[in-house]
Amino acid sequence: MTPVVRVAPARWRETCAAAIADGGRLCGLFADGSGPTGALGAAVAAPDGDRLLLTEPRGGIVDSVVELAPAVGWDEREAHDVHGVRFVGHVPLRPLVDHPSPVDAWAARVAGRDVHQVAVGPIHAGVIESGHFRFHVVGERILHLDVRLFYKRRGIEAAAVGRPAADAARLAGGACGACTVANGVAAALAVEQARGLEPDAELRRARVVLIELERLYNHLNDVGAVCAGVGFAPGASLYAVLKERVHRLCARIAGHRFLFGAVAVGGGTVAVDAATARAARAEVDAIVAEHRAAWRELRFTPSLRERLVGVGVADRDAVERLGGVGPAARAAGVARDARGDSPRLAYGGFRPILVPGGAGDVAARVEQRAREVEQTAGLLAALLDGRLGPGAATPTAVGSGIGLARVEGPRGETVCAVRLAGDRIARLWLRTGSYANWQLLAHAAIGELLPEFPLINKSFELCYACVDR
Amino acid sequence: MYVLLRHLRRIRRTVAPPAPSRRHSLALRHVDAGSCNACEHELAATAGPHYDLERHGLTVVASPRHADVLLVTGAITVAMAGPLLDAYRAMPEPRRVVALGDCANGACPLADAAQLAGPLERIVAVDMWIPGCPPPPERIAAALLDLLAAPPGGAYSAAMSSATDRRGAGRPDGGDG
Repeated sequence: MTPVVRVAPARWRETCAAAIADGGRLCGLFADGSGPTGALGAAVAAPDGDRLLLTEPRGGIVDSVVELAPAVGWDEREAHDVHGVRFVGHVPLRPLVDHPSPVDAWAARVAGRDVHQVAVGPIHAGVIESGHFRFHVVGERILHLDVRLFYKRRGIEAAAVGRPAADAARLAGGACGACTVANGVAAALAVEQARGLEPDAELRRARVVLIELERLYNHLNDVGAVCAGVGFAPGASLYAVLKERVHRLCARIAGHRFLFGAVAVGGGTVAVDAATARAARAEVDAIVAEHRAAWRELRFTPSLRERLVGVGVADRDAVERLGGVGPAARAAGVARDARGDSPRLAYGGFRPILVPGGAGDVAARVEQRAREVEQTAGLLAALLDGRLGPGAATPTAVGSGIGLARVEGPRGETVCAVRLAGDRIARLWLRTGSYANWQLLAHAAIGELLPEFPLINKSFELCYACVDR
Repeated sequence: MYVLLRHLRRIRRTVAPPAPSRRHSLALRHVDAGSCNACEHELAATAGPHYDLERHGLTVVASPRHADVLLVTGAITVAMAGPLLDAYRAMPEPRRVVALGDCANGACPLADAAQLAGPLERIVAVDMWIPGCPPPPERIAAALLDLLAAPPGGAYSAAMSSATDRRGAGRPDGGDG
């Protein structure tokens, strides 16, 4: 059961401040409904467990908490655009989801001698997702970056309303192909919480195998993407091969290269016999052995190395302030990894790894992923030792109809909250690691040269689909 | 570095089929009009060592002005319909449009109808549809090679009708692993 704290609207700011002062972290804020009956929720990850703060702002007006937790700046802007909530003290409350036409209406005003703007997107030059970047530059130097996403908004959260609760994993999983497992498991756990269900040991193990397989191909992809970002073709090609091998392994285990349809609410859909599991373990070992040999070479290839060090720094302070998550946070020395506090997944004794130095530059983010590949292989080896899944979630309490879950995906934690009305979804909220990190990416670009941006972008490798939903 | 190159040469000999002798080429322009990013991953994989479509004369180009084929992924959101049309209009004739994946063909059950301007055929004439959620890279590669071999104009009806048959098959497409 997810602990829910109901707060009077007048005490919203004060309650959020107290949660932060007690060592908690605001990991997202969302509106539930519009108008006089609308509510506002905030997910808090606290040392003594996660909880949900809920308030019902009178007339849709509430105090902003953005200066307490700049991490929720995008959340407030989205709640304003989509649900009409007005945040007192969030000035200027610029549109995020909406796309008004004058640039001044949504981008920061940057003025001065020789300042000009460079507009990129929504369509990019390669095979890349759609989104718009507005760079404010002097010469080649980036002064400020405004990121305008939500070109890919399919309205998944709106489409979820009124659907059966059992569809939650498929809806959340459909938001993003590359994070489908992490998002799907987060939604499944949230619905199970809302219904008072607890996953059994089998289900916990099976879900972790799927989450880690997803992380494996994503991390291999992201190491290759940085090689491609500096035009280092040997690295990009090698990692493309390794990634393809993980996709084929996923198809053998779960019947789909991206593990679509492998996560369900209330139980598992993947069952693997002992021989298949051990064969999968051998393949993971072989893939990681090749990664290890390739990474050893990449680390000592000066033409790659020299391009990565000191570029696109998102340091510890920035991560803490802007609420960074995932490998980008850990590369800056912040030991933030939802696997360490996932009691409903088989991550017993998990400790996040941190690259030495925690420089938070492109080099550190790539190295962080390269090291996490090894860690993921270790987790998979332990779980693929015998028969796997499917498992089930069993009732342990009377559900309150409200659930919250956090799952560490390849790019950081996915936070999902659901409110059920009977067997139907009344509200499904999904906040992915990519959503959390876009502000951090924009920060890391400041002061860098414009031609470095694609590389910095690749080193975060954030999804657009995950954010736009 | 030499270790990497040696390793790559070995991979190329073991995984990549030899390029057939074709005399034509097609320049591809990809537009993501609201996908989940899986189609992009699979399209990118066709440029990797396993498929390496560039050897066949199939290249992704940066500008629609240089493109023969518009490859469209996603359910065509309201916000992307305009940029998509801009890209289409910027292409020289003759041009072809390929809908990549089930979403582009209107089989996107997870979206809110108010956010969608698609399916793609409502916006531009579609020459070919590559089915799948997402279509695996070997299917994308095979379809694009068919397109390369076929003369322009009306030659894709077979691909279209077989694509329609496979539509709504229920279980997401798993590829062949």
